[in-house]
Amino acid sequence: MSNPAFTQLVEAQYAPLYRFALSLARNSPDAGDLVQQTFFIWATKGESLRDTAKAKSWLFTTLYREFLRGRRRDARATSIEDLPPGQQDIAAEEVDRVARLDAATVMTALQSVDEVFRAPLTLFYLEDMSYLEIADALEVPMGTVMSRLSRGKAQLRAALEREDRGAATKVVPFSAAKGVKS
Amino acid sequence: MNNDEAKFLLTAYRPGGRDANDPAMTEALAQARQDPALQEWLTRAQAHDAVVAGKLGEITPPPGLRDAILAGARLGSRTQAPRRRAWWRQPVWLAAAAALALLLSVGAWKLRPAKGTTLDEFAVNYVARGFMLEKRGADVAALKSWLQEQGGPVPISLPARFAELRGLGCRTLQYQGKDISLVCFEREGREFHVFVARREDFPDRPLEVAPRLRGANRLVAAAWSDTRNHYVLVSDATLPDVRKLL
Repeated sequence: MSNPAFTQLVEAQYAPLYRFALSLARNSPDAGDLVQQTFFIWATKGESLRDTAKAKSWLFTTLYREFLRGRRRDARATSIEDLPPGQQDIAAEEVDRVARLDAATVMTALQSVDEVFRAPLTLFYLEDMSYLEIADALEVPMGTVMSRLSRGKAQLRAALEREDRGAATKVVPFSAAKGVKS
Repeated sequence: MNNDEAKFLLTAYRPGGRDANDPAMTEALAQARQDPALQEWLTRAQAHDAVVAGKLGEITPPPGLRDAILAGARLGSRTQAPRRRAWWRQPVWLAAAAALALLLSVGAWKLRPAKGTTLDEFAVNYVARGFMLEKRGADVAALKSWLQEQGGPVPISLPARFAELRGLGCRTLQYQGKDISLVCFEREGREFHVFVARREDFPDRPLEVAPRLRGANRLVAAAWSDTRNHYVLVSDATLPDVRKLL
């Protein structure tokens, strides 16, 4: 790939890849390393993939593989939808709750979702991939993606509620609250 | 399709209506249009998704990451010697394989409900599409009783090492107009779905005394028979792991 084409690919994909990596790795330095490693593999893997239309999926797959390398997958994944009825329901206030949280808090909640659900969930929220592309990137069947989205969303809503509750009960130092210098 | 099944599908429906023409979503969306409660759920779910997606989009990579990537790649490309690729890794073959894979995956959704010329093929398609359990629970004896009550075939005996698996649940379904039972297990994040069919319902199917294994659609399928039933196991575990179980 020519340098301008590579630069263009980096420009287009490094931010969504970083968000995906941050959700997986749970810290910024590791996420940055994962993104760098992914592009490094792309640039040095010889000439193994010239179909640039598949580049996006390839990058996400490679990043995910790099993350999983040496790790054991979470033990709670199933491709069947075994959420108890009702857990898919969303209360009206849940939308407002997310809206008032800041981005870092939402990311923290996302990072607390089980790893096996977190990967498809983050790709879904990056909004650039259909469930078919997510299945392709994570190398799992389509039904598994749907199931993991369903269960991952339920976990995320619970985590957001916890974060919101935590934010509401945070203690503000008296001096800071009153603007008094100590 | 009931509302729970519609919700299961619509969970993968991205905000903004970009998946509206997806064959898997069409029926679920039509149902939402006719059912105010489902429509209300979808509207709320989409609003929730949109807000979360918006927050995620606010996360910015650390300064310098872009430059570090470009610099690292330049350094890497200088240290790599050019390699000759095998024919199957040439771009034209890769593109053809990718196109075929896409056609196969998109085509799979058009086969609604899951189909297959053999019970094995049907079972793999059924699991790959995703499904819902009718009865949940880890107690396999209770699952068998429930299947019996529904009139579905009941597994006589499963391989001994199935005792190491955790029961998830079961359901009944139909294949070629015949009742099939499906019992699902899990271990360490891997799923094991056992389809049970009465031998008398499929007299032309050859008996499989020793389990026959094959890989298909990122899944492993194994088939065997006993005195009363045919069995097809579909799993996302590796072939050696499935072999060890049987």
